[in-house]
Amino acid sequence: MYKPINLRYLQYIIVALFLILTFSLFKLQIIEGKKYNSIAENNIVRIKSVLPVRGEIFDRKFRPIALNRSSLNIYVTPGQIEDKNKLIEFISTNFEISAESIRQALYENRFRLYQEILLVQNVEYESLVKVLESFNYYPSLSYKTEAIRQYAYPNHFTGYLGRINEAEYKEHKEDGYTINSFLGKSGVEKYYEEILRGQNGYRIIQVDASGQDLHLFKHNLDQSAEDGADLILTIDNDLQGFINSIFPEKMKGAVVVMDTQTGGILAYVSYPEFDQNIFSENISNADWNAILNNPDKPMLDRNIHGAYPPGSIFKPVIASLGLESAIIDRDTKLASCSGGMQVGDRYFKCWWEKGHGSLNVTDAIKVSCDVFFYDLSLKFNLAQINDFCKKCLVTTKNGIDLPGERTGFFPTREWYIENYGKYAPIIGLKVNLAIGQGEVLVTPLQMCAYYAALANDGKWYRPHLLEKSIAGNKTKMNEVESIDFPMSASNLALIKEALWKVINEKYGTGTAASVAGLDVYGKTGSAENHMGNETHSWFAGFAQNDNFSVACVVFVENAGHGGSISAPIAGRIFQYYHEQSK
Amino acid sequence: MKKFDWILFTLLLCLLIYGVLAIYSASTSRVGQEFHTGNYYLKQIFWILISLLAMYLLYKTPYSLLEILILPTYIITMIMLVVVIFLPEINGSHRWIPLGIMNFQPSELAKLISILLIAKLISTPYITGTKIVLRSFSVMTIPAVLILLEPDLGTALTIVISTFAILAVSELPIIYILLILSPFISIATSFSVFIFLFFILILIYLLYRHNLSKLLLGFTTAINVFFFFITPVIWNGLKEYQQNRILSFLDPLRDPFGAGYQMIQARIAIGSGGSLGKGILLGTQKNMNFLPEHHTDFIFSVIGEEFGFFGCMILLLIYFLFLLRMVKCVMNLKRKEYRYATVGILAYLTFQIFVNVGMNIGIVPTTGIPLPFVSYGGSNLLINVLAVGFVLKFMNERSIFK
Repeated sequence: MYKPINLRYLQYIIVALFLILTFSLFKLQIIEGKKYNSIAENNIVRIKSVLPVRGEIFDRKFRPIALNRSSLNIYVTPGQIEDKNKLIEFISTNFEISAESIRQALYENRFRLYQEILLVQNVEYESLVKVLESFNYYPSLSYKTEAIRQYAYPNHFTGYLGRINEAEYKEHKEDGYTINSFLGKSGVEKYYEEILRGQNGYRIIQVDASGQDLHLFKHNLDQSAEDGADLILTIDNDLQGFINSIFPEKMKGAVVVMDTQTGGILAYVSYPEFDQNIFSENISNADWNAILNNPDKPMLDRNIHGAYPPGSIFKPVIASLGLESAIIDRDTKLASCSGGMQVGDRYFKCWWEKGHGSLNVTDAIKVSCDVFFYDLSLKFNLAQINDFCKKCLVTTKNGIDLPGERTGFFPTREWYIENYGKYAPIIGLKVNLAIGQGEVLVTPLQMCAYYAALANDGKWYRPHLLEKSIAGNKTKMNEVESIDFPMSASNLALIKEALWKVINEKYGTGTAASVAGLDVYGKTGSAENHMGNETHSWFAGFAQNDNFSVACVVFVENAGHGGSISAPIAGRIFQYYHEQSK
Repeated sequence: MKKFDWILFTLLLCLLIYGVLAIYSASTSRVGQEFHTGNYYLKQIFWILISLLAMYLLYKTPYSLLEILILPTYIITMIMLVVVIFLPEINGSHRWIPLGIMNFQPSELAKLISILLIAKLISTPYITGTKIVLRSFSVMTIPAVLILLEPDLGTALTIVISTFAILAVSELPIIYILLILSPFISIATSFSVFIFLFFILILIYLLYRHNLSKLLLGFTTAINVFFFFITPVIWNGLKEYQQNRILSFLDPLRDPFGAGYQMIQARIAIGSGGSLGKGILLGTQKNMNFLPEHHTDFIFSVIGEEFGFFGCMILLLIYFLFLLRMVKCVMNLKRKEYRYATVGILAYLTFQIFVNVGMNIGIVPTTGIPLPFVSYGGSNLLINVLAVGFVLKFMNERSIFK
């Protein structure tokens, strides 16, 4: 048997290892201690991020929507604070920020002693100059000229930039965000954050007090920043401005205008308006809370973040389903309207109390007869309608390039049983759905995309805001997909004919939207709702001539009838666009 | 006669207390006149109490019962190591199983249980050298490979080093260990023909002197020459970024955005501590954002900065006495199984202390190994204390078998 090694070797190995550590530590701390102490004190060795310039946002004709503008920002380095209270007093008396906000910022960053923390942004040049000398007494303070965002006009599609919060910082710090970063909090700014932002660069700083290179890193790995891409949107600033100028004052609602041949959104308006430029100022908590708690919800984007009962603008969907499933054709007349109709043990009223008599599909749409659609709905089950709605994308997400889009809603049998109990009167509920009332909910955007597709021979384009992005000299077009509606050309033509009659024939509900010299098609809607006594006023339609084809939805909350409120607005929009394109 | 090794236990307590102090300081920052302290030190105290309780229970359980549990525990641990690879990654690697209040790290348990299993399997009487190698290598390879996949090079290396330490004190002739290691040395020396030739001549001489068969001698030489020639071929076949990754591991200063930056900042922190340090809580470098691990892997940088050379020496002295005491234990243990296990534990603690302190002062590549008993961390602390518990237990039970 082999004799094992002497265990004393174990001791020798341990002694040797500890001698190595001791000598290395002695060299590092005793011999070179002074050198490292000065490096530490002067904070010489560090990697400095070189921030990219954020891409700017323009309209379809290269006119600015969101630009960068320079701003004087004040920073604090918490580890260098000598007297906290004196510092807080100094800043809060000289700049527009409350002592409370400073105290909170310092507390939140109490473990980031040697990082500069953004304290006040966009300070006035004069107020800085006045106290600049006093900065010498506060070595923890510094200021820099940086970029902040400025938006050409208030709107709901660009969104806004906001200071990164702790949760976002944790999630994104690998991507080069710092605790002082701003990022897109909503809208296009958020959706296209990645391409707008660009890529950080780095500079390694390793020089001693006399400017000599310390050579701690052997390779020069500095990296320049890559600026973010500029975005060209499909938005037309002129049209956007015009709609803003004609939208009824003190009303809430939304208007969206779309090019039917591309799905590009030409105007995107939501009221009450909301000026996102307040985020570039040092907004106080009170002001911020006032916006958040405003009952009119100015920050709500009613085009995609609100879903509402569509009322009669939903009728073409039901009519299309009737035609496509060959239950009716162009001449089929349904139950005679005597101001209402008996279904089971309930009497359903038509909006026109005197009654329309017996109508075919085009006339029923033209005068918006409810009874025709009550009767038609009895010939389908819920699943068929639901399925058809999905295929026409009226109750599914449209996939617009904005965050937080709502799906809309169309109930199913299961949903009714779950919510209304086993004995839910599904037939009666379904009758109501056929005229766009009851549980069905849509967003103005979904309706606009739907009517745009009707204008476009059943070809539905995904609604979008981005036309192209430009990074350096590389231009990237936004590829947009399309979907074909399950409708025959003849049925599409029939629906289009009915929509034409609505605007252009006597007794049509949408005659207020007509424009001389332009083919306008559309449908009005007055949707009863839980939000108020007045109905939501809707208009959805499109206008075409040889040069263009645009769809438009006008939605005004609790404003009254579609024909009297929304249709005239749509008419003026079509007329304006017509004149502009001449 | 039963006897508790109070000296080893007291040294352990000293290390634990030192750790709490360092963690308290590492998670404290100062703004103006105010101090803010994170609650890591409280969690550490909690884990120390849990670990000491576990150690007490271990101490009270008869070893015969523990012995039965070794193999099943090893198997369960291997299963956990497979499971952990399929769990979502935390901090860039698949190391942890989230258990609500803590993240359990099965690789920590793996290193202790592998040592115990190897010690048990190779201490059977009249075992041949081949069997020793086969058994210990099969027990070692499974966890080492699985842990390497996480990826956690440091812990995988710890298991390999411990296994070789056990083999070194086992009945396996030391020359065989040299045989096993020789291809790796050939790879390492392949950059210079002269060094390689020097090594191969020494190897042949040693093999010749130990009267090994001519066949084995020829075979070993051929293998080593093969490795010497193949290494440059493989190296040049690697993509540039792969080469860079290996070079950055060996020389972190090439990588200023990763390990190199941390290492330089740790060196600045420790160096600036000077002889007596800046005083407890008064370190300035610890709150720089580039040492996010300053209460775990880089705790030594805080110790060096605040307690200085003097404080570092005190810590190293406690470690030194602690490890020497364990060597003494090894010498006193007569039962082979106990002795092998203790050597394994001794080796892994020594390795981790050396590598952790070494990476903090920039003489060893960064591998993400915590400082035993001092770094913040639940499962790591628990396993290290339990490992010492086993040594105490061996010392206690030795008299029965004398």
